[in-house]
Amino acid sequence: MPLKKLYLTGFFIIIAFLIYYQILKGDYFYTRSQNNYIKIIPTSALRGKFFDRNSNLCAYDEVAYNIAVIPHQIKWKKDILFKEIAKSLNYNEEIIYKNYKKNFQNYFTPVNILIDINKMEALKLKELLGENIIINTLPKRFYVYPYEFAHILGYVKETPSLYLDLKYGYSPNERIGISGIEESYNDYLSGTDGGDLIEVNAKGDIVGFIGRLKPKNGKDIYLTIDKDMQILAYKLFNNRKGTLIFMDSNTGEILALVSSPSFNPNNFVTGKNVEEFLNNKDKPLINRAIQATYPLGSTFKPIVATAALEKKKINPNTTFFCKGKIKIADREFKCLGIHGKENIYEGIMHSCNIYFYNLGMILGMESIVEYAKKFLLDSLSGIDLPYEKKGVLPIISEQKKWFLGDIINLSIGQGTIEVNPLKLTIALNIFANGGFIVKPYLVKKEKQNIKKENIGISKDTLETIKKALILVVEDKEGTANLLKTLDLKIAGKTGTAQTKTKAHGWFFGFFPYDKPKYTICVLLENIGSSHEAVKLTYDFLFELKNKKLINND
Amino acid sequence: MTKLKKDKNIIIIISLVILNVFSLISLYSSIYYDFELQNSIFYKQILWFIISWILLIVFSFINYRLYYNLTIPLYIFTVLLLSLVDMFGKTAMGSQRWLSIGGFNLQPSELSKITTIFILARFFSQGKQINFKKILSVLVLILINAFLIYKQPDLGSSLLIIFLFFFVGFFSGIKKIYFIILIIFGLTLLPFGFKNLKEYQKKRLLVFLNPNIDPLGAGYTIIQSKIAIGSGKIFGKGFLGGTQNQFNFLPERHTDFIFTVIAEEWGFLGSIFLIFIYYIILKKILDTSEQLKDLYAKILCIGITANIFLDIFINIGMTMGILPVVGIPLLFISYGGSHLASSFILMGIFLNIYKQNN
Repeated sequence: MPLKKLYLTGFFIIIAFLIYYQILKGDYFYTRSQNNYIKIIPTSALRGKFFDRNSNLCAYDEVAYNIAVIPHQIKWKKDILFKEIAKSLNYNEEIIYKNYKKNFQNYFTPVNILIDINKMEALKLKELLGENIIINTLPKRFYVYPYEFAHILGYVKETPSLYLDLKYGYSPNERIGISGIEESYNDYLSGTDGGDLIEVNAKGDIVGFIGRLKPKNGKDIYLTIDKDMQILAYKLFNNRKGTLIFMDSNTGEILALVSSPSFNPNNFVTGKNVEEFLNNKDKPLINRAIQATYPLGSTFKPIVATAALEKKKINPNTTFFCKGKIKIADREFKCLGIHGKENIYEGIMHSCNIYFYNLGMILGMESIVEYAKKFLLDSLSGIDLPYEKKGVLPIISEQKKWFLGDIINLSIGQGTIEVNPLKLTIALNIFANGGFIVKPYLVKKEKQNIKKENIGISKDTLETIKKALILVVEDKEGTANLLKTLDLKIAGKTGTAQTKTKAHGWFFGFFPYDKPKYTICVLLENIGSSHEAVKLTYDFLFELKNKKLINND
Repeated sequence: MTKLKKDKNIIIIISLVILNVFSLISLYSSIYYDFELQNSIFYKQILWFIISWILLIVFSFINYRLYYNLTIPLYIFTVLLLSLVDMFGKTAMGSQRWLSIGGFNLQPSELSKITTIFILARFFSQGKQINFKKILSVLVLILINAFLIYKQPDLGSSLLIIFLFFFVGFFSGIKKIYFIILIIFGLTLLPFGFKNLKEYQKKRLLVFLNPNIDPLGAGYTIIQSKIAIGSGKIFGKGFLGGTQNQFNFLPERHTDFIFTVIAEEWGFLGSIFLIFIYYIILKKILDTSEQLKDLYAKILCIGITANIFLDIFINIGMTMGILPVVGIPLLFISYGGSHLASSFILMGIFLNIYKQNN
């Protein structure tokens, strides 16, 4: 009967497949089955903490309470369970479904359905639903002074891990540092996750224990930053665009580094309310101290003067006459005042443009750019933060013909010259420490290897410029005379950098004059003049002095 | 002579008892670590066995000719029941799910399998009188049934009764050309049918073609099942020794994937033994049907064997990845009352046919 043959054929097909699976490939499948019931339950390592220079805690891992479910265990009652959870916590059910879908990996790996909820709520829920849910505690980064330290520390974010060799169907998320020291010291901070190798039963309970790899917590970092100075400086900006750098003149140790406006890194950890920062036209995510370049304006003048002295084009007593304007090749250039006869001290003190036009014309393009390079304005400061932006200098080549206007512009720090504020600070700082380019840093190490590079400017030149810089503050005609009342013996230079819109205001300074210890640099974007930068410097140093945060012996 | 016949009859009874034992052993193993299911399922299944044996005995005493006249009322009753579930099921979706864990709720789709066999036997036993028009009208009746089951949704059972139509039709002595035409026509409609499937059903079908599309999702079951079956090798891992099973890498292992548990724990030899038992039952029914003079009874037997064969072939085929996962339980073995009861009723009907014709 054909029907019987048909049935037999059907059974033989099944048997043929059984022979293939169980006999021919039996050993292969057997090995695969052996690897199957061992699972890894990862234990996250704690990330290193951040402390300021006085051991104040600035960032650490706190415990986030997550609610997880095992899909296989709840497959019949998922809808009812989720409804119950949503009801008892007054949550939107959609969020639970969204998280479930997003975090689902396989039927036997816990899926986080609620992330970072209140501890009491988590415990209450556990009591209510018992075995159906799991409280999954995970470390969560917390920044104590979020806005103040945002650009220094950066933040951490969960990203899918690249551990492809975890073959048990589990791919844990990995926390990595984004921007700031969190990024540049990521490996140092993150440590290594551990895990338990376990056998699991039908409920996901552990029935056998195979082994444990202890998590290795990340190492802590002590910053060179003084938390009080940092907070103070940030407050003074009052959301105006700009940056402040306050550092040790001799070592490059950064005491305060503020970029304003700022952002809240805690929002980026949870991924909540980040749009207000991402879409802000003032770009709060940018660290203006290193990730933006600005025209230098008059702060470039000490470098031009150094070039003239070093090239022996002038001596300190060489004078030029300022009558308020100058006619060069049928074009008239103006000065901000009528300064009369000026030597180098008066030229810098008044920040007289006409004095520097003259220097520029004597020096020529090549020499000015040569000295800009000698001050390393075209390289990076090497601070331990990622994404520093390189400055731009005029490109000197034999084919290129320079116009007089180019030289006039460059001699007062305008035109094709843009540098990030930290780099300018490091360059001018050589007048404070006797000729050394220091490498700025934010992380204290046990054996601090201070990197200094002498760029070979003669002692006499350094002394001359330094003497001119104190007049900027001390002389009543100086452009930063406001700072004199602080009685800190500050030397410095103001700068008003012309832009297409309102000018940027600069102030660079160091003190005490005799044996400089501190270097400061303030930039305020589109503020009109250098006056506000000087004012901010004044307020900052006034407070530091008042609170005895600096000693000025 | 009578002794021999009685012996033959006993073969079926013994086979069924062996399958019952097999079922309980596999069930026990499949839920060994599942504490939630452990207490309820095992004893519930024993209860279902008792109910099923009672049904078998009852139906073996009901004259099968009775169904001939009852075919149409039974069919209408089935359709009513199916549409009732369709309406009722929608309003009480949540609670129905909970109830179905217990498995005590009746599935009308199982009843519709029996009625389908009755319909086929009644109309196809008209011999040479039957024409294409009549076959078409039978097909329409079957398709109404299939559509209502498909809407539940139970793609497996709805396909199964369509397959029954062709199987029985092909082997009931009617001109085969009618069915060939229908098959060709049906195949041209397939792409349209696929479009109307639910998302997860489409996924299952696509994953069947390539399980690695979605190894941790829809393809997961197939991959894990293959690993479990293969790892049983010739002799199996022994009772409660199936790691795939015990460590819960296999979903649905006490229902649709119970063959996987058997293949893992009892190996190739155990699987062959199971298939052998099935074959004995099929052979016994077919041998009997060959000697029957009543064409109606003959076609009933063909229908019963077709149902048995399709159940087994589809279920084992899907656990091994030969066929898509459509949710058909393993005959006489899987947990679940309705399927067991309907299968035992069919066996009871066969026993009556056997008795009446000897």
